[in-house]
Amino acid sequence: MLYWSLKTLFSEPVRLIVSALAVSVSFLLVVFFSAVFEGESDKMVIYLEKMQADVWVMQKGVSNMHMASSMLWDWKADKIAKLPFVKEVSAILYFNGPVKIGGKDWFSYIIGIKPQYQRAGPWEISKGKRIPGVGEVVIPEVISQLSGVQIGDEITLVDRPLRVIGLSRDTFSMASSVVFVSHEDLGELVKGRDQYSYIMVYANPGISSQDLIKHIKNEVDKVNALSSEDFINSDRTLAMQMGAEIISMMTIIGTLLATLIVAFTAYSLINHKQQELAVAKALGFSDGKIYIASLFQSVVITAIGLVLSIVLAYTILSWLPTVIPQVNLVVRPHQFISIASIALPIAVFASFAAVRTVIKVDPMTVFKG
Amino acid sequence: MLRFICRQLVYEPFRSMLTCVAIGSAIAVILLLEGFHTGLLVQLKNVSLNRGADLIVAQKGVSNFIASRSLLPQLSREAIESIEGVKSAHPITSVPVIYEKAGYRKSPVFFMVFDTGGGPAVIKEGKTVTKPRDIVIDESLAVLYDLKVGDDFIVSDFKFNISGIAKQASALFTAFVFINYDDMIDFFFDSDLVGDISNLPLLSYLLVELQPDVDKYAIAKSIEAIETDADVFLPDKISQNDVALGETLFGPVMGVLIGAGYIITLLVIGMIMFAAIHARLKIYGVLKAIGFSNKSLINEMVLESVFIIILAFPLALLIAQSGAWLIETRVPLYRVPIFETVPILRTFFSALVLAIIGAYLPYRFMAKLDPAIVFRG
Repeated sequence: MLYWSLKTLFSEPVRLIVSALAVSVSFLLVVFFSAVFEGESDKMVIYLEKMQADVWVMQKGVSNMHMASSMLWDWKADKIAKLPFVKEVSAILYFNGPVKIGGKDWFSYIIGIKPQYQRAGPWEISKGKRIPGVGEVVIPEVISQLSGVQIGDEITLVDRPLRVIGLSRDTFSMASSVVFVSHEDLGELVKGRDQYSYIMVYANPGISSQDLIKHIKNEVDKVNALSSEDFINSDRTLAMQMGAEIISMMTIIGTLLATLIVAFTAYSLINHKQQELAVAKALGFSDGKIYIASLFQSVVITAIGLVLSIVLAYTILSWLPTVIPQVNLVVRPHQFISIASIALPIAVFASFAAVRTVIKVDPMTVFKG
Repeated sequence: MLRFICRQLVYEPFRSMLTCVAIGSAIAVILLLEGFHTGLLVQLKNVSLNRGADLIVAQKGVSNFIASRSLLPQLSREAIESIEGVKSAHPITSVPVIYEKAGYRKSPVFFMVFDTGGGPAVIKEGKTVTKPRDIVIDESLAVLYDLKVGDDFIVSDFKFNISGIAKQASALFTAFVFINYDDMIDFFFDSDLVGDISNLPLLSYLLVELQPDVDKYAIAKSIEAIETDADVFLPDKISQNDVALGETLFGPVMGVLIGAGYIITLLVIGMIMFAAIHARLKIYGVLKAIGFSNKSLINEMVLESVFIIILAFPLALLIAQSGAWLIETRVPLYRVPIFETVPILRTFFSALVLAIIGAYLPYRFMAKLDPAIVFRG
């Protein structure tokens, strides 16, 4: 009976392909949401990762960069730099908000850097200079491509025009593109010329982040210090959590749709093969065996849909950002685990519709015209 | 032909129902995605409109009400209120903070600090901020953190008391909470933050209320003349800017998602039409044998497909509305308006186009159909 099931399915390859494709696109919709949030979350922490600091120091009560605001007096960076165990510090002024580039607002992480803290600047430049001076700005290469703004053109940060002097790589994201300006410009803008937002601390060899944190908290008032790992995790988790409900809702919607598609395919297949089923019943195959055959068909369609969705995800979704550079997508195997775990219940549930038809099959059908 | 289609549908009611449900669900996915996109933009649009101002004053160069940092000189309120035709200027400040509660996740929250105006637009439960430490939280926080009126709301060890729960006070995946200025200053001092803040962000925007029958454009000019560090906007304009920012942020992703929804619908319709032809091979054989051309049969398929869309669309609206209700009830941080004219019409007409394309998908199969099939067993 299982052989019959398979043979019936593969005897109509077009129908099978269309059904499996529809199931896979439903699954793909779920993966897409998750890939967007993971892609964006990765980009949200890229600055933190690229700085490779051992410890991040920020305003007391703050433990994030995303959706956060932090202000510290600049002398605190000097004080931390003089502490034993500290090899080097770097510091930035930061705020997030829109930057007008090519007539459009781009929501960005704006990093104000001082010439002595070049380490805090862009890590890869595709064109132009790396460190902006007063009245200058380094923007992501992707924004330059999308907006047509080139080196030498002007952009507007709040009320001040800045001249583009460099294009950075690997700094674009929908919600947190990294734009580099001088500390002086940003300081004037946020009325914080004597302040930093975050201080990056690099430890001497052999010093653990935890020891350094303890030391910094003991020596410097009103600061929070986090290891790079904790800081990055905190930001990534926050970003991912913001999309968690949407991902679960889309999983439910995609699952329901996939269930219906599998149910419809299984139902129409069995409906179409009523006479063959009647022959099987007349030959003595039990209802149970016919149920299993029907279930098997649903499982096969779902499995093909799942495999197709994995293939499509690793091809189309990986290729998509090259066509639409605004979209950062990260496809990872774990995104398919939830889908795989619901694929079997989908198959079982979907086959119920088909089973309802099987029950009604009258062996006499075989003798009818 | 229409009668033939109706008879086909009535002949197999379960199959017809399943067809309508499958197509309706595929269309519902598009409607939900469209609704989600619209909801994100509506939330952004309402942030400034819900503040109830005639004019909004922002730091010079700042053209958004949300996701922007605006700092106005603290004496600007007094200066603006002195302009003839201005009834009052209500200060408002937005401060991003991260809310944490033991056993729950972290959430970014916007403190909307207000004084005499610009507070929560609609209070669902409880009352607005009337006494020290009162706070009005968005309904999404109440659901997410199991909070109710009277509960404590603790941020950076500073304890507020929930006096009310606001309806739909969120945007950009972020909930708003409303507090007064005295509490914000206490919050900064108690949280030990003030020592490192040279300029407390006390005044982000001024919400200007005008006397009746005054020329708002003339007053806007007067404000910009008297307060050179500020730009003045009509609420509609600043809300359009917020929507444009939202489009830049979400447009590409939502475009791809809605595109995926259309592909699913096309595949579902194609699959259904293919199955319909298969199920009726003999009938089509008879029709071909008695002289129906391929063209007339495909026309019948197109008509049937369009007819099914017309039947499935109300069901799609119902499914989408139920989904939207579920999302808005369980996660009120999001709004998913389904019954918006433009997205509905766009989806309906796109579905009709997809139905026509979907009906043509099995055309080759139909064209190759041998009329002799009717004489086979």
